[in-house]
Amino acid sequence: MNENAIISLRGIRVDYDGEPVLHGLDLDIMDKEFITFLGPSGCGKTTTLRIIGGFIEPLAGDIFFEGQRINGLPPYKRQVNTVFQRYALFPHLNVYENIEFGLKISKLPEKERRQRVEEALALVNLRGYGHRNINQMSGGQQQRVAIARAIVNQPKVLLLDEPLGALDLKLRKEMQVELKRIQQSLEITFIYVTHDQEEALTMSDRVVVMKDGEILQTGTPQDIYNEPQNAFVADFIGESNIIDGFMHKDYLVEFANDLFPCVDKGFDSMERVQVVIRPEDILILPAEEGKISGVVESVTFKGVHYEMMVDALGYHWMIHSTRSVEPGTVIGMDVAPENIHIMKRDEEE
Amino acid sequence: MKFRYASIPYLIWSAVFVLVPLGLVAVFAFTTQTGTFTIDNIARVSSYTPVFMRSVWLAILATAICLCIGYPLAYLMSRMSGVSQRTMVMLIMLPMWINFLLRTYAWMTLLENNGVINTVLRALGFGTVRMINTQGAVVLGMVYNYLPFMILPLYSIMTKIDDRVIEAAQDLGANPLTVFSRVIFPLSVPGISTGVTMVFVPAISTFIISRMLGGGSNMLIGDLIDAQFLGNAYNPNLGAAISMVLMVFILLVMSIFNQFDDSEEREGMLI
Repeated sequence: MNENAIISLRGIRVDYDGEPVLHGLDLDIMDKEFITFLGPSGCGKTTTLRIIGGFIEPLAGDIFFEGQRINGLPPYKRQVNTVFQRYALFPHLNVYENIEFGLKISKLPEKERRQRVEEALALVNLRGYGHRNINQMSGGQQQRVAIARAIVNQPKVLLLDEPLGALDLKLRKEMQVELKRIQQSLEITFIYVTHDQEEALTMSDRVVVMKDGEILQTGTPQDIYNEPQNAFVADFIGESNIIDGFMHKDYLVEFANDLFPCVDKGFDSMERVQVVIRPEDILILPAEEGKISGVVESVTFKGVHYEMMVDALGYHWMIHSTRSVEPGTVIGMDVAPENIHIMKRDEEE
Repeated sequence: MKFRYASIPYLIWSAVFVLVPLGLVAVFAFTTQTGTFTIDNIARVSSYTPVFMRSVWLAILATAICLCIGYPLAYLMSRMSGVSQRTMVMLIMLPMWINFLLRTYAWMTLLENNGVINTVLRALGFGTVRMINTQGAVVLGMVYNYLPFMILPLYSIMTKIDDRVIEAAQDLGANPLTVFSRVIFPLSVPGISTGVTMVFVPAISTFIISRMLGGGSNMLIGDLIDAQFLGNAYNPNLGAAISMVLMVFILLVMSIFNQFDDSEEREGMLI
């Protein structure tokens, strides 16, 4: 087991009605890191979080907290706190009483309670809102109360279950920054669950990409984005062109009827691979200058960039560019070697 | 504006069948049999204080028992699966499909000295237990008849308690007992208040249950009023006066009770 891990999961298995939800999950979560479980709904990310929180008992496997096995320990005895999806605030208590809830249970003296609640209110920018009723607060404010209610107990680990899911885009972006700031100022571990890849990339120190109850890849946001280990990760983390190809030798790959220099090595000669190219990495050139040529099918304005679909030999390439090209135009395309990412083929597909 | 016209038939109905009778009760209560104004009727009500006390006491007892039985059941029901919940609601409603009088008659035959229960007890060698015509039998009848009115409002408010709110309390360190006292109970108070009202009000004014299961010795206010209108005592003016005192008493009790949890109710309704 890793020395610095605050939480370790070993061989965690969970079934719902006989259907496996998690099959043999292994994961070490480091102290003070911001780790995100990312994946589509039904991938087991929330289940994993609930196992750590103590709300679900795994069928098999062990959970360790600071080296101690905590299987079977009920939620109220665990040193973690949760920010729930859609907040789950106590409707019969006001903002102050909601935040104070955990402190009252641990029988802290009144004076210290007040001080800690005020600090928590200040941390989530809600100073002066203590006397308000929960239903007088907007969604974003309720979210802040939920965060304050959890962190006021000074947990070593904070679990966040899609906490920003119910907020609109602008507020979500603000809260992302806010959450990162809170995590850094408290210096505690955040375990964050989301299906939003952008959210995961923005906030995390480490991202765990999950699918069908398994971990597909673990790494820094840069690793996950630039070096996806399989087509699912590549497709899930941002948009990608994924095309079949052959590895001729180290640093040379064939796809789209041409040879391209690349930066990957260590494949068998003529091994079938998948090539990942990000839409923003494709260069648009005059028709005769590009290695690949194709016909522009559609152009959509996306704000910062245009999104174009280009048909080249039957493969539809997605290109993001700051300039647009009229549909029907024939263009040339090229890709720099460092922007070509080679993956082993998914065995199942 | 359209909706206002739609409400006219209901307003007429309320006026004819609620306000006018109430007015008549008041007129009767303050007049003699020959029609002159008097407060003697109201003054005479005080001589029935023991009957009032018995009615209040038995109604409180029945309400308390209903709450004790109904609360845990309503909570368990609210945490069951959807199918079990519907089955349980069905089972609780089912006796109400049979007429109230018939059900009370059934209890009479069960509790009689030569009834089913005593026959079984004698066969087992316990001897005869006197059950019919006791206060216990009256309370039993009240609890049996009014229990659904306690369970259903409690159940409906408890199904509105979000599971995640309970999980949040556990997450913040609350053991099962604390979860109950700090979260589930406060959130269920509106249901308690509705349930108590719906049991206490009919229980305090009942007259069939006490007559059939309580015999002659356990007269309640309801019986007293009934006797003034339909019995041999025939004195509608006194009956009206007793009815008025009872109505004022119930209004007072309920307003005090609702005052007590007023703020919680408003919040609870918004969940």
